[in-house]
Amino acid sequence: MTLEIRNLSKSFNGQTAVDHIDLTVPAGSMYGFLGGNGAGKTTTFRMILGLLQPSEGTITYNGNKIDYSVTNDIGYLPEERGLHPKLKVEEQIRYLGQLKGMSKKEVDTKLDEWLERFGVPENRSKRIEKLSKGNQQKIQLIASIIHDPKLIILDEPFSGLDPVNVEILKTAVKDLNRQGATIIFSTHRMEHVEELCESLCILNKGKQVISGNIDEIKSDFGQKEIIIEGDHDVEFLRDMPGVIDMKQIRKKSILKIENESYAEPIYNEIIKLGYFKRFQVNEPSINDIFISKVGHEL
Amino acid sequence: MSKFLATFSQTYLSKVRAKSFMISTLIIVLLIFIGANFDKIIGIFDSSEELTTIKVEGNEAVAAQFETVFNALETDISVSENDGELGEGEALLTIEETEPMTFTIEADQEIPGDQMSDIEMALGEVQRSATIQSLNLSPEEAQRLNATPDITYDIASAAGDPEEEEATASEGDGMPDINILNMVVFYVTVIVMFFIIINYASQIGTEVAMEKTSRVIEMIVSSVPPVTHLLAKITAMISVSLTQLAIFLIAIFAAIQLFDFSDLISEFGLEANDQTATMIVYSFIYLILGLILYLSISAMLGSFISRMEDLQQALLPVTMFSLIGFYIAIFNLWGSADNLLVRISSYFPLFTPFVMPLRAMNEETGQMPLLIGVAILLVSIALAIWLAASVYRNSVLSTSNGIFKNLKRVRKE
Repeated sequence: MTLEIRNLSKSFNGQTAVDHIDLTVPAGSMYGFLGGNGAGKTTTFRMILGLLQPSEGTITYNGNKIDYSVTNDIGYLPEERGLHPKLKVEEQIRYLGQLKGMSKKEVDTKLDEWLERFGVPENRSKRIEKLSKGNQQKIQLIASIIHDPKLIILDEPFSGLDPVNVEILKTAVKDLNRQGATIIFSTHRMEHVEELCESLCILNKGKQVISGNIDEIKSDFGQKEIIIEGDHDVEFLRDMPGVIDMKQIRKKSILKIENESYAEPIYNEIIKLGYFKRFQVNEPSINDIFISKVGHEL
Repeated sequence: MSKFLATFSQTYLSKVRAKSFMISTLIIVLLIFIGANFDKIIGIFDSSEELTTIKVEGNEAVAAQFETVFNALETDISVSENDGELGEGEALLTIEETEPMTFTIEADQEIPGDQMSDIEMALGEVQRSATIQSLNLSPEEAQRLNATPDITYDIASAAGDPEEEEATASEGDGMPDINILNMVVFYVTVIVMFFIIINYASQIGTEVAMEKTSRVIEMIVSSVPPVTHLLAKITAMISVSLTQLAIFLIAIFAAIQLFDFSDLISEFGLEANDQTATMIVYSFIYLILGLILYLSISAMLGSFISRMEDLQQALLPVTMFSLIGFYIAIFNLWGSADNLLVRISSYFPLFTPFVMPLRAMNEETGQMPLLIGVAILLVSIALAIWLAASVYRNSVLSTSNGIFKNLKRVRKE
């Protein structure tokens, strides 16, 4: 159930929206697409789903091209939310479920389970236009996963939700992944990717900046972060070998070092000064990696 | 196929269950029942009652002459002598021998118009023979006085077809010979088609546009090919319109079964002629094909827009062309139904469904133009659906407005 994207490009009227993307989404993994507005996330998703034809490159799912013969295995939550405003929740879900090859009965049973889970069983026979934005979003997520898809593509699933609902949705997404679904989602929130994903792809202006397993990316990135907290003056560390950057916030100093081998000499230097409350070597954050690759924050 | 059915049944059921559908259907069914009982309804408001007897008072010779003349008119009214009493359904005619004669009609109720004119006609005749007598004219002179003018029409046909000229001349009265039943079929077809097009064009346009503007379309086209989806929608809307049509036909049939139509039929002279069967078959074919063509075009126009506010503007061509087609058909019914405008416009796809039933009414038209019309419509429908599907496929994800931008997109993709 692997999704492979090879050398994928798309341009509109001479403007390149996606520029030679190359990545592999392993079966059963949770894969994050990270990027700002106009990075090419939605265009990439639409090409994966076959809604847009790539200008160049190929996309295969289990070695085959994605077409309408496999769409029943795919769930998609578009970035631009929208449902038939005049339909009742159950009518809308039944219709979208049937488009995914489910029977009315199957949809009804599943719908009850999901509404219960999202804590909105009372919305079942309400018209969609009567629901709040957050509740509409829950209904749309239900619509995109009700048929137990093997591949789920969620475009900005958490945007516009309050923290409580973000947590409910995150738990649901994690459960689906645990049950074996491959999940691809996009976001511009680094922490969501760090929390949920094993792998990621960072896009910037249509170009793939980094992609792969997050742990590997971090260890390959090499740079580490050291946090030192204590009463002593450690300004001299700035000139130590391997130190790229140093920031001081009151009694806390944050050092960026080229790789972990430079951590030990630094440790040996500061213990000579006496007691320190904290000496911690951290993995770089995705944000750090992004900044170092792109030159600015997301 | 199951996805086609899912979209089809969802659209069909939601439309048929809609209040607007039920109310509009109910209103028309009510109108059909009212129409079927039109003569009875008029009867309720018409306080005049039929006369059964006219009693005559005055000069006996004149009275006898009135009786002879009046009986010759073969009305249901009998003529008798005045016996001094005036009952229900009776009128008293008093003749005074003045110059000209004075007639007074007395009755306790209003006299229906047609009976009144019968009486007046008979009295006029009586007066005229009295005048002839008083002038002492010879029977020949009297005959000459009564002679009707001999009028011959010599009117050149607009199309200049010698055969047609002959046909017009042989009819002699200068008006096309229109069978009333065929005319009713024609009117019903054209009016029903026009109203269904206007009503359902905006409905299918709204359906497509609402899906597009609410962005639910992205979820839909990730499950079902856009072309299948669009075709299911068009088919569903056509089925909804045909359901409504079927309800009307059932109502008409029920009205025929329930109510006595013989008066209505005899009053309007609704009798089939040789052309009626052809007329009904072609009208039905053109009605169905016309609906499919216009609804496919409306679906395409609906997919052009990205904001609901632009819908009416986008559907303007549908309204315009159907209105023009409708008027060409209606206004040429009483003229020469086969003039150049009718002939040319009957081959223009958007006018064909309206104008061809008019030509089908005329037996001079023959089968060929009617079959060509069907062929033109079939080709146009195929073309419209192909264009609608291409536009739809490429415009569902676009938020750009404007027909030309979207057409350009079709060409590019």
